[in-house]
Amino acid sequence: MKDPINQPREYRNDARRKMFSSSFSVICLLVSSLAIVVLATLLLSIFSTGGGWLNFEMLTASHRENNPEESGIGQAIIGSLVICSICGLAALPIGVGTAIFLEEFKPKNRLLRMFHGLVQLNINNLAGVPSIVYGILGLTAFVYMFGSFSPIRVNDQPDYEIGATYFYQTKTLGGKYVRFPATAEIQPVFEIDQKRIVRTATGERFALNVVPATTDESKYEDKKDETVILGTKAKLTNHQGVQSYETKTLGGTPVFFTAEPKYSQFAKILEPIMVTGPEGDAFELNVLSKSDAIPTDPDVQSRSVFADSPDPNKRSSASIFRENSFFHMHLPFSKSVLSAGLTLALVILPIIIIASQEAIRGVPQTLREAAFGMGATRWQVVRGAVLPSAIPGIMTGAILAMSRAVGEAAPLLAVMGGVLGTTNHLSSLMDKTPVLPVTIFKWAGDENEGFEHLAAAAIIVLLAFLLLMNSVAIFIRYRYEKKLA
Amino acid sequence: MSNPPVGQGELLTTPISPRGELRPRSSKSSKRWQAVVVTGLVFCALVSVFTTIGIIVMLVVESWGFFADDQIEIWKFLTGTKWTVGQTQGELSYGIWPLLSGTLRITGIAMMIALPMGLVSAIYLSEYASKRIRSLLKPTLEILAGIPTVVLGFFAVKFITPYMLEPIGDFKTFNATSAGIAVGILCIPLVTSLAEDALQAVPNRLREGGYGLGATRLEVTLKVVVPAALSGIISAFLLALARAIGETMVVALAAGSTPTLTLDPRMPSQTMTGFIVETFKSESVVPGTLSYFSIYAVAAVLFLITFGITLIGQIIRMKYREVYD
Repeated sequence: MKDPINQPREYRNDARRKMFSSSFSVICLLVSSLAIVVLATLLLSIFSTGGGWLNFEMLTASHRENNPEESGIGQAIIGSLVICSICGLAALPIGVGTAIFLEEFKPKNRLLRMFHGLVQLNINNLAGVPSIVYGILGLTAFVYMFGSFSPIRVNDQPDYEIGATYFYQTKTLGGKYVRFPATAEIQPVFEIDQKRIVRTATGERFALNVVPATTDESKYEDKKDETVILGTKAKLTNHQGVQSYETKTLGGTPVFFTAEPKYSQFAKILEPIMVTGPEGDAFELNVLSKSDAIPTDPDVQSRSVFADSPDPNKRSSASIFRENSFFHMHLPFSKSVLSAGLTLALVILPIIIIASQEAIRGVPQTLREAAFGMGATRWQVVRGAVLPSAIPGIMTGAILAMSRAVGEAAPLLAVMGGVLGTTNHLSSLMDKTPVLPVTIFKWAGDENEGFEHLAAAAIIVLLAFLLLMNSVAIFIRYRYEKKLA
Repeated sequence: MSNPPVGQGELLTTPISPRGELRPRSSKSSKRWQAVVVTGLVFCALVSVFTTIGIIVMLVVESWGFFADDQIEIWKFLTGTKWTVGQTQGELSYGIWPLLSGTLRITGIAMMIALPMGLVSAIYLSEYASKRIRSLLKPTLEILAGIPTVVLGFFAVKFITPYMLEPIGDFKTFNATSAGIAVGILCIPLVTSLAEDALQAVPNRLREGGYGLGATRLEVTLKVVVPAALSGIISAFLLALARAIGETMVVALAAGSTPTLTLDPRMPSQTMTGFIVETFKSESVVPGTLSYFSIYAVAAVLFLITFGITLIGQIIRMKYREVYD
């Protein structure tokens, strides 16, 4: 063995190697501080762009097209809060439940252990799935429900629905708005507008021949039993247990066709019906025919409509309206806050599970052993000993996951589309609403330069909200650490 | 007080309920209750399993709707170099490569920023930083990690492009570089925290051994600690890669909506995620149409890539982890 003192210089802990080491530490420090520089630049640029636009009006107003001065984020703030509450209510119990299952109920059975491992691997992988893919899942699973129901389009009625009242509204000659319920009994008479597949009373099916009234009768003389004149009225009946429209062909044969859609969007008033006025006063509507003169008495005028009139402005067309109660629900969920909240719940579920698992793992084993020693079942151990001491950690993780949900834009864009403003306020789970991140995204891409400043102001609000949530998380963590010490 | 003395028969047969009061409870009923609870917990766990199954079934079924269309051939989708789905005029081309290359370009730029910076920051935090600097750097990185991606997208298009890139070259308003930089910024905290965890997991006795041989701090770090934590560092890199590939809002805002097949980082470059968002944003997507099904085909490619990378990252972390205890 050589004497270390006499070895060549480079083997010794000499000045050059020490210099390398310390200069590397300086480089490291510089690179790491770049993060601080980036954060400072980001915050500065956003505050300088949007700071001047942040005011009370902007916090309460809603979006106005081409008018950034009067636009605001009032609806978006409420929308974000509602969606995040739904998301939290769905994700928190499921996430904590999964974490308890994975951490406290480790099975001994080999098959169950495989299931256990699979769930764990699956959750770690789900955490890496891009949020836009969850958005597409939400669109398919919640909005369209895999196409197993008929998709809901504008003003269309879903297959299953509760909490909604449909009514027709029309304007009388006196300019008074009256409404009447859109139920099967008062279902207005249907006018045949196009070729339809019909059934006869004996079950025979054929395509109904629809001809304009002006057509020469000789042209359909030989198939009168399959022909009706355009605009022939059909009445709603119950045909063999199915709600159907019934009409008579020129030959006098009764034919039936399915009453689809459930309610027609427009109705024509042909017979006197009971209606409700704007003050809740019920009266029978006075239906005038084409040949009648307009009544002169204003009181009668306000209770009269024309059944049919050559003047389209006087025609008594009633259109359908919907009044939602707060528990309004339908299937599929369509583009609604419920779909959005559930989709976000799927996004943050893996995060909550992993955070809760860590919190549960942090509970000292001695607590469990003490509880087992007193004869508690495994669930009693979890409920009585593990959960109470893991709750602060779980809450911290949940709040951090929620702050991720607040800032997510991509899944919401997929599920609700780029909604910027709605005419009516959020009143049920089936409504659409603008949300903060999507609003920021749409405004940032707007050509009107004012919206750029407004987007920056909205970002300040969003960041303030995130800061608040994080402070709560830090506060909980701080109290928890003090309690253990 | 009338508390029964400890050790007497009655106390031993009455288990203590979780709330702490003494209440006689047959262990049979609490076991039955436990079975109910466990069933509930299994259902909770099944939600995440069904999420994965739901994603896979949805992507397979709906992509099938795309490839079953008469105009579509699968090999043209996988090899084509032009993408015009969703555009109203011109002939239909549906090669994935412009979108895929857009994703790869932006991810490449992002990784050039995030991997070195993240690793160096992790090394600094784990091996060098004093407590005071740590208490400054850690929260900064946590805040940076918590910034919503739509905010970073706004930063990219309203600050990075006009103030950093346009003065130094002929950059388009929407370009791959600014999106890449912003994605890189959001990946730094991820790489840092995962790599730091891996470095911290290396036991101190390895470092002490290094110092005992007369190594400097740099030599211990680069020749002992980093190699020992390599599996963790690589899995951190892979997770950041998957994150960058799946990043949506930054590229939707900053990278433009033109699918291009070029190596020029100054050009607009729509990514796979960018295409999906662009289609949703226009709100013209009607179920059953070709552009609706194309979303699923693109999302299937995106999912396969990110899921594959995450899975490899998991496997590397589990299989090649050095266990020291």
